[in-house]
Amino acid sequence: MADTLTLLALFAEIDPSVSAIDKLHEMGITDEKLNVISGIPLNHDVLGRPNLRTFIPRLAMGGAMIGLVAALFLIFGIPGLYPLTVGGQPVFPFPPFLIVGFELTMLGLMGMAFLGLLLAGRLPSYEPKVYVPEISDGMIALVFSCPVEQQAQFEDALLSMGAEQVQPVEASTL
Amino acid sequence: MSGAKSRNTPSKWGMVINQDLCMGCQACVAACAMENNISFIGEQDVNTGRSMQWIHTERFWNGQYPNVYTNFQPILCQQCGNAPCESTCPVYASVHSDSEQINAQIYNRCVGTRYCANNCPYQVRVFNWRDYSRPVPLNNQLNPDVTVRRRGIMEKCTFCIQRIHRAELTAQTEGRQLQDGEVEPACVQACPAYAIVFGRLDDPNSQVSQLAKQGRAFRLLEELDTQPKVIYLTGDSNHGHNG
Amino acid sequence: MDTTAEPIALPGASAREPHDQREHLMFDPRPRGEMNAMVMESMHKTSKKFWGVVIFLVLTVLFALLGAWAYMIAEGMGVTGLTRPEYWGIFIVDMVFWIGISHAGTFISALLRVMKYEIRRPFTRAAELMTTFGLIQAAICIFLHLGRVWLGYWLVPYPNGRAIWPNFHSPLMWDFMAITTYVIASTMYLFMPLIPDLAMARDRSTGWRKSLYRYLSLGFRGTEPEWKHLKTAMNIFAFAIIPVMFSVHTVVSWDFAMSTRPGWNSTIFGPYFVIGALHSGIAAVMIVIFMIRSTMKNMKYFIRPEHFEFLGKLSLIVSMTWAYFFFNDYLVPWYGGNKFEKLLLDFHSNGPFAYVWVTMLICNIVIPWLILWNKKWRSTPWVMLLVGIVINVGMWIERFIIIPVSLNITRMPFTWRVYKPSIEIPLTIGTFALFMLLYMLASRLIPLVPVWEVQEGQSAHILRKVGKAVIPTVSNVD
Repeated sequence: MADTLTLLALFAEIDPSVSAIDKLHEMGITDEKLNVISGIPLNHDVLGRPNLRTFIPRLAMGGAMIGLVAALFLIFGIPGLYPLTVGGQPVFPFPPFLIVGFELTMLGLMGMAFLGLLLAGRLPSYEPKVYVPEISDGMIALVFSCPVEQQAQFEDALLSMGAEQVQPVEASTL
Repeated sequence: MSGAKSRNTPSKWGMVINQDLCMGCQACVAACAMENNISFIGEQDVNTGRSMQWIHTERFWNGQYPNVYTNFQPILCQQCGNAPCESTCPVYASVHSDSEQINAQIYNRCVGTRYCANNCPYQVRVFNWRDYSRPVPLNNQLNPDVTVRRRGIMEKCTFCIQRIHRAELTAQTEGRQLQDGEVEPACVQACPAYAIVFGRLDDPNSQVSQLAKQGRAFRLLEELDTQPKVIYLTGDSNHGHNG
Repeated sequence: MDTTAEPIALPGASAREPHDQREHLMFDPRPRGEMNAMVMESMHKTSKKFWGVVIFLVLTVLFALLGAWAYMIAEGMGVTGLTRPEYWGIFIVDMVFWIGISHAGTFISALLRVMKYEIRRPFTRAAELMTTFGLIQAAICIFLHLGRVWLGYWLVPYPNGRAIWPNFHSPLMWDFMAITTYVIASTMYLFMPLIPDLAMARDRSTGWRKSLYRYLSLGFRGTEPEWKHLKTAMNIFAFAIIPVMFSVHTVVSWDFAMSTRPGWNSTIFGPYFVIGALHSGIAAVMIVIFMIRSTMKNMKYFIRPEHFEFLGKLSLIVSMTWAYFFFNDYLVPWYGGNKFEKLLLDFHSNGPFAYVWVTMLICNIVIPWLILWNKKWRSTPWVMLLVGIVINVGMWIERFIIIPVSLNITRMPFTWRVYKPSIEIPLTIGTFALFMLLYMLASRLIPLVPVWEVQEGQSAHILRKVGKAVIPTVSNVD
């Protein structure tokens, strides 16, 4: 197994980092092998990267269904099990179902969207990761693996594209 | 689409109050308090409007001096068929009793949101604002058939449901039907003028049904369609004044 | 990202000051590292005065809220001024007030985000915190109100051995569902945009703070997938929480509208209350951002007169809408309502609380309409603080008029009685103190400005030359 190391290049502006990504493509680092870490969200079109899919919307719709079923149970299931007459109103009241159904559907939708965020992002995770604090100061980091012999090549290429610094990194606790 | 239908709720136990006979002696108030273990509030709380009278009499002055006369109206829980208080209780402490067709108040379920009292158009519901003491020997007067309520619980007239049940059990043990007039809530029993009559509204031969068919009969706040089980007979017969 | 172009005056224009775009936060960018440092410094820097206020608030909460509440639980609800016919009093007023305040957070955070109002960027978190803490106070007020609060858990639908569940015919249960949904959703919605800022705080902290932020930031780094998932979830929330916001206060208003009481059984309560919530909420945000700007270090960079100006414009529109709904609710019973509703209106405007009713109209309509039309006054922070306080006083009074004062009149005249609050006053003060205390403590632990959103906005704002003018433009990179 060839020795590889992880390089992290920091850029201060978007345009140089996008040009650097193109350069890395030329040098053989494909999109799957490259990670872009930034302090603000950067649109995939801006970076020229593939659009990432996320299952959160579908999970959220599932959560909405769960909420609706819960409301059905509360409004129709329970009076079915333990009927009680109140106020001359029907035992299975439909307008309250609209209200409680809406609230619980939205709760399910949003609750599952949040859980989806945790699941999809594999959060919370506290194991060591590749990261430098400059990223939260607004720098854009390009992280990729390269064979040890080519380290100098990549460093020169990225520095010439305008990187602030290029360094090998190890995964460390954040 | 057809218009909204008035929901006609079934009737069973009902009451007729004859305002022509009522003279405002408040024997019914006292009897109810004794029968149902109602607390003694004290002057200060009564002055702030917290009197716990399950039945109270309202006095109306009519006419001009010197031809002034009074009308008395005992107000108690109307045991509505479409009770506004029942649907608002979040914990089902106020439910419609299907076997007696009255409004049941479940004391140990009440959490004290007081929505039912707000919603009662007759304002007949009464809340336990504090724990009131019952100094010895008043505790001997407690009725063992009725729960004693503590602070935070809503209560109201129950048509002396404990007396209804006792009479039904007696009749059952004796192997016979209940007679009309056999069940007497405390207020009915105490009234010296026989102004309050109690019985089965679903029995066309009972005294209560006969009285309720009179032309003088009316229900309080009829426009609200609460379908109360208490029918009043107007007392505007000039009380024997001439001219 | 050229934002230093000098604005060019139009030909023929008089020699007036060219508008300096740099007075707008979005056109006055600073390096992200510097903004991060400013926010971190504002969290760390405290003074003796700060801790003095905190101690005062803690004592107020201990005595006015917890102590008085313990006394009320032990003695019973009789220590309040409640009686027949006003079974609901200031506790419910406070509950509706706090829920109203909480709506502003969602409005600013969700509605303005969806409508792409970039000016919301620096104060979304301050507003969202107001939502969470306001809802905590609302929950406290609900518990204060219960006669047997130790059994309050019976409102929760759970399987139990008593074979009895809560009654969903009751508007209070709809309330419970709606408020629970809203609390959970708005707390999640507060937390999600906070994650990147907690990551930033983690990177810039040491000691126990670093451990705290490390755990709370969930290991967030800012990778592309993480941002994608975060933005997707935030988008779903932003769209979903807006109808929830409208529904929550509508459901709260239905506590009153579903009843049979004269003055309460009005179909307009739904939208009336929602607009009322926005009115008091936006005014509360004005108060909160004034406090942040004037008491916390470096906040003058983030919170600028333009934000007060924007909130003031919004407040004026909402005040006019509120007046429309108030007049609707007044006119209909006045014109041909039943005799008790007409009596009630007369009781409002000529009865023992008439001075309170008039104060409400002055605070909610007259003062906003006199002040908020003027752009210069809208841009003056202390003026907006006063307007915010006045509006909140007026809106508290509005709920006071609707709840205990309207309850004085019933269809049974023998029961009419004027409400005299007693222990409700210290308990109300206690909830306000707790709100302020929670907020002050949060300002030490949570970065109050979402710096990543501010930088995101600043990078999207450019000055573009169109003809001879320089036009501020916002690019849409979502």
